[in-house]
Amino acid sequence: MAGVRTCGPLASISLGQHPVMANPDLDQRDLHSAATSHRGDRVFSRVVTGAAFASLVVLAGIAIFLGIQAVYAFQTEGLAFIFSTGWDINTDPPTAGIWGMLYGSVLLAVIGLAIAVPVALMLSIFMVFISPPKLATVLTNLIDLLAAIPSVIIGLWAFYILNPPAEEWQALLNQYLGWIPIFENTSQNFSGTPFIAGLVLAIMMIPIITSISREVLSRTPPELVNAAEALGCSLWTMLRFVALPYGRGGIVGGVMLGLGRALGETIAVFFVLKLTFETNWYHIIESGGGSIATLIVSRFGEVSGPEELNLLLAAGFFLFLGTIAVNMVANLIVSRTGRLKK
Amino acid sequence: MSTILYQPPADPALLSQPPQRPWRHKPRSFTTAVALAVIVPAVITAALFFLSPIPGAIVLVVVYFPLQLLASGIAAWATRGVRGIADSVIIVNAIGATVFSFVVLASLIGSLIVRGLRALSAHFVYQNSVYISPSTPLDYGGIGHALIGTILVVAVATAVAVPIGIATAIYITEVRGRAVPYVRFFVQAMSGVPSVVAGLFILTIAVSTGWFSQNAFAGGLAYAILMLPTVARTAEEVLKLIPDELRTGALALGSTRARTVMRVVLPAAKTGIITAILLGIARVIGETAPLLLAAGNNDGTVLNPFGQAIASIPVYIFNNVAVPYPDAVARAWGAALVLMILIAVLFTVARFLGRGRVGRAK
Repeated sequence: MAGVRTCGPLASISLGQHPVMANPDLDQRDLHSAATSHRGDRVFSRVVTGAAFASLVVLAGIAIFLGIQAVYAFQTEGLAFIFSTGWDINTDPPTAGIWGMLYGSVLLAVIGLAIAVPVALMLSIFMVFISPPKLATVLTNLIDLLAAIPSVIIGLWAFYILNPPAEEWQALLNQYLGWIPIFENTSQNFSGTPFIAGLVLAIMMIPIITSISREVLSRTPPELVNAAEALGCSLWTMLRFVALPYGRGGIVGGVMLGLGRALGETIAVFFVLKLTFETNWYHIIESGGGSIATLIVSRFGEVSGPEELNLLLAAGFFLFLGTIAVNMVANLIVSRTGRLKK
Repeated sequence: MSTILYQPPADPALLSQPPQRPWRHKPRSFTTAVALAVIVPAVITAALFFLSPIPGAIVLVVVYFPLQLLASGIAAWATRGVRGIADSVIIVNAIGATVFSFVVLASLIGSLIVRGLRALSAHFVYQNSVYISPSTPLDYGGIGHALIGTILVVAVATAVAVPIGIATAIYITEVRGRAVPYVRFFVQAMSGVPSVVAGLFILTIAVSTGWFSQNAFAGGLAYAILMLPTVARTAEEVLKLIPDELRTGALALGSTRARTVMRVVLPAAKTGIITAILLGIARVIGETAPLLLAAGNNDGTVLNPFGQAIASIPVYIFNNVAVPYPDAVARAWGAALVLMILIAVLFTVARFLGRGRVGRAK
């Protein structure tokens, strides 16, 4: 063996003792690492490893840079920054409370989920268990197309095409169901309501939730489905006892991914929601509501100075915390059900 | 006593015919009932819609939907008994959800084409908006400056995100270090960063360090944050499809790890990697909020990515939506149509390449 440089696992090779034979735990991965002895390889693997942690660096960078701004905001505003409402930059110190915005983001997301989850679930059931396979393929492509439409185009469409009929629907809701507290409206002004914004968010969430729950449902083992049908299960009982329990984790994860998108959505909501700082607790067809992401964009255009910019950045920090937390939980749930991509 | 084994005769006719699935057999009475359940509510609703003054939305929600549920329930009960009713409810709702989504999509695409074509013309694609005010007629002005801006921003984003994204994928599939689960977790978490936060982050760096101002470079960095997870994950899927025999073969021939990746694995995955890049571009090209914050806006053409604020198609649309001039709004629709065509082309090419021999992304 003279002249052959060996180190690492290869060094352990001696006559009559094959490394894999001697140690059954050595799998293919160890054969891979056996070849990392070359110096160029070490450089290569270090560069690649460094690049692989870029995502961690960016996440940490966002948390640190925006977190510092949040600390500044707390120093001038105190806890009132989160728990009060109002935005007046001319007072000293400037008044800034984002409770209405934080709550508004959640309210919009809840309205969106209330519309999107049933539609997306039914849509995926249709595609997997009801429709002919060819139609299902076409529908999958259409849903992908819907997912590919940028939010600014959805906002443009919602502003000009969806708004007029949606205002009429809300007037009708108020006329016939106005006695239910959430459908109260005293001003008879139905534009810029949380309902429309939630509807727009639902349209953006439907493709996300549908594509994930469709994939999860289509992974139900066919022998289970066929066995259930052979035992006399109807479509409903098969769904209830076989398909839905099997895909529950994935569907919940998909819903949470949609929720993360809804919380962070900015531009589409900007066009259809009238931003008000007073907290709109539950009057979903009353004009005016809040959204933290939209606040940032709408105030940024006319930002008065570094103080206000600082407050907006601090608001962005809380948006980041919320969406990242939701997204991490969603990914954990989805990957636990064995689905790691997208 | 000997055991008698029954051996069924292998009937070739039986073997060659497709599976029968008798439990899926639908008798004619069933078909009739379903047809009735579809036609009767539709006729009643149509009559109400055209002959009565009740608003269409009310007819749809209060009359048609319950009537359709009721009719399908009765049809199911008549043909399949009580157990059929739950099925009919699911089927009606599933078809309803599908129709709803299809109507939304058709309305989106239809309005985009109908309204966008009004502004679309040759000069709309290459002229800029230097002397254009919202009230200028459509004969002048265009999105040429925004198109160039978008291309510059996307070029910067690609130059930053693609090498890092592919390196991340190589780390996960080729180096296979101990941190693989963590790297994947962080890449996935990164895909949850809202676009507006990406813009804010780059803006904060620009403001606090003073290295750059609002320009194509800053916008590209913000886009890169959004693009990286898509590129990394798609490239990972692609590299996983490369058979291990290629790697072990190259290693056995005496190649080093780095050479195996650069000369064997990556070339084998070339089309897939291109697909990953295209999907990453398609993912970010319509994002508005990051450019609004990090790249700004400009009416003129800017060619220097490190220079002044720069226009882009999404920001151009954003600025022309809520303007009380019909021609400005028509420009927004036109720009939206151009943007949608760009995205459609990117996706089509990506999918076409993805059908190749190894590079299946999905």
